[in-house]
Amino acid sequence: MRFVSNFPYGRAPFWLLVIALVSLGLRVVTSRRPEARPDLVFVTHTEAHFDAYRKAIPRFEREHGVKVQLQFANWASLQARLQNAILAGTEVPDLAEVFEGSLGFFTRGPMEDFGLLDLTDRLRADGLDKRLVQSRFTLWSARGRVFALPHDVHPVMLAYRRDLVEKLGIDVSKLDTWDKFVEVGRQVSRDVDGDGIIDRYMLDMRFDGNWSLQILMLQRGGQFFDQQGEVAFATEDTAQLIRWYIEQTRGPHRIGYECGWGQPVVKAMTDGLVLFQWAPDWRSWVFADEAPGLSGKMALMPLPAWSPGGRRTSAWGGTGLMIMKQTRHPDLAWELAKYLYFDTAELGGRFLATNILPALKDAWNLPEFETPFPYYSNQRVGQLYAALAPETPPVYSSPVDDAARIGLDRAFNRSAEYYVHNGEAGLLEKIRADLADAAEDVRRLAKREKILAKAKL
Amino acid sequence: MSGKISQRPPRPPGRPRYKGKAPYLFLSPYIVLTAAFFAVPFINAIVLAFYETNGPRSRAFVGLDNFIFLFSDSTFRQALFNTTLFAFVSVFIQLPLSMALALLLNSGGDKVKGFFRLVFFSPNLVGQVLVGILFSVLFTPRYGLVNRVFQIVLHWGLEARWLSDPRLIMAAIVLTSLWLWVGFNMIYFLAALQTVDKTLQEAARIDGASPWQIFWHVTLPSMRHVVVFVVIMSVIGSYQLFELPLTLLSESYGFGANNAGLTLITYLNYMAFRSGDLGLGSAVGWVVAVIIFTISLIQIRLGRIAEED
Repeated sequence: MRFVSNFPYGRAPFWLLVIALVSLGLRVVTSRRPEARPDLVFVTHTEAHFDAYRKAIPRFEREHGVKVQLQFANWASLQARLQNAILAGTEVPDLAEVFEGSLGFFTRGPMEDFGLLDLTDRLRADGLDKRLVQSRFTLWSARGRVFALPHDVHPVMLAYRRDLVEKLGIDVSKLDTWDKFVEVGRQVSRDVDGDGIIDRYMLDMRFDGNWSLQILMLQRGGQFFDQQGEVAFATEDTAQLIRWYIEQTRGPHRIGYECGWGQPVVKAMTDGLVLFQWAPDWRSWVFADEAPGLSGKMALMPLPAWSPGGRRTSAWGGTGLMIMKQTRHPDLAWELAKYLYFDTAELGGRFLATNILPALKDAWNLPEFETPFPYYSNQRVGQLYAALAPETPPVYSSPVDDAARIGLDRAFNRSAEYYVHNGEAGLLEKIRADLADAAEDVRRLAKREKILAKAKL
Repeated sequence: MSGKISQRPPRPPGRPRYKGKAPYLFLSPYIVLTAAFFAVPFINAIVLAFYETNGPRSRAFVGLDNFIFLFSDSTFRQALFNTTLFAFVSVFIQLPLSMALALLLNSGGDKVKGFFRLVFFSPNLVGQVLVGILFSVLFTPRYGLVNRVFQIVLHWGLEARWLSDPRLIMAAIVLTSLWLWVGFNMIYFLAALQTVDKTLQEAARIDGASPWQIFWHVTLPSMRHVVVFVVIMSVIGSYQLFELPLTLLSESYGFGANNAGLTLITYLNYMAFRSGDLGLGSAVGWVVAVIIFTISLIQIRLGRIAEED
């Protein structure tokens, strides 16, 4: 202890030195040799995809004699970290899957900053531009070039409680337009037990617009942005849609009720509180997974059209596969992307495990897509979605995509607020003004992007 | 004479004075870390506020454009309004409730005090994100616990869309924050109450003062320093509100219908990290810093005036 007391500058520096030396020693003892970087690193954000790819990748590794590392990451952190890593020039994975709306995030500023491999020529060379659903390329295109492979189509149908709907005497085959749907909806949306609270609604509709409003806008042919990237949602057609939506969610004869997300939706479906739910292909699986008790009681139908003979579907969501410009093996990465997305030996089984319709049209003829699905009263779910897929509307991408979605919601909610206080009088004018205001805000933000895009950095 | 003047005072016994580089060596970890993680980012944030950026590498000088954009942006103004409203609620609803709880507990026995102190403080142990997720379930129309309780007590609220009706979103955030922070601030007040001189309160009681008069004229002035501290910390915390609305309103990027739940930091996060413009994000950060600094100065000044009075 005398040594400690006599240590230069006292005991504290001595113990600090001991801690430092012990830490260093532990670090050396426990350090492992860094593993050699695999030939490809692939990150996905969806558990279902991760499980499917984990099973599929060993065959690719055997066939190509390479090592592929599959990683799983939360989608929001993946997006932010990936973009910052690309721009900062630090290490990035070779391939990454991202959600709808993400491409704009990766395609801001000058094109040389993009950090993504331009896949346009490769798609053409392999003839994939013709074999995939055309409308899905828009989601993954920027400035006329394709930067990600579309994983899916995601056509939207309506999932409904077949048992209850039949009991109410509703013939869904006659619900081919929204007018007819609303007419029937008004008859069934009512207070059944007389307690003054409506306990049966026709359709799940977000109170604040959000995704259910966006689905309807796309079905009508509306867009947030046009092909040139200009703001396009402030149209007369969107104004009419908003008026219709307000009527169905706030009007005296409303048919829509917001079920929320997750367990509240399951409860609302199980209780028969809401008869019809929005069901893109991926969600048809979610219902089966989360509300197994309704197996055999559910069924699917196409969306009613806005006019007789009109489009019977819309689009909701999407995943794309990007290859990073930094990759050391662009050709190998392209091979892996094609293998995972377009190898028919993989796609059939994956459809059975997810209900997700791939963008590759050839795959729809596989026997798995004709399999009856007991949950939906033995309907052939694959065929139903495949029949609607060619009608799926395009969704154009923009760096200010989020701002446009927020802007549309803001316009809707302001107009809805106006309706609650003032009724129908002047509503349409108010909607037009709110839409114009929201569009102007998005344009102002987009202009900032243009300043950056023009700057030669 | 001059020799005497320049003579240094004798060193106090037991405190050796070190010469050379050693003290600086010991200080160096702190200095290096502070420089790396505070000074450099601080200076960088000042510089960035005058640039438009696309992530951390690409930037273009825009002068005061970021600030001009902010003050002409209705979304930013909405965020400023919402945050200020929340700060008012924090000071005028949350803190009185904390004080009331502290007074209530202060009058109880030690065991009761300890138990309820833990009960009221415990929401803070789980963090804002978990509380946000929890309350997003509790606020579910028709099935949520909050909706059910409101229906039973007020015969209203079963169908209330707390998280999608612009008129209710701020109320939902406030209710959640009350559950989260009332107990936290109560701990400060309770600690301060236990230091108040009991003889002063007793003397006032003997002089015929009512419980309210004792509180207002004796107890509160005695714990003035803690009150000023808690008010300042609450205002700062309110202007930094972020995780709670982001998790409660996750489906609308933390904005809420009609931007009713948008706070300044959510706006900052959106602009800096979702839109990728770190320059605009820095500008928002500086505006928030100036607001907090100004309000804190005013509060400290008011506290001093009250003390002098």
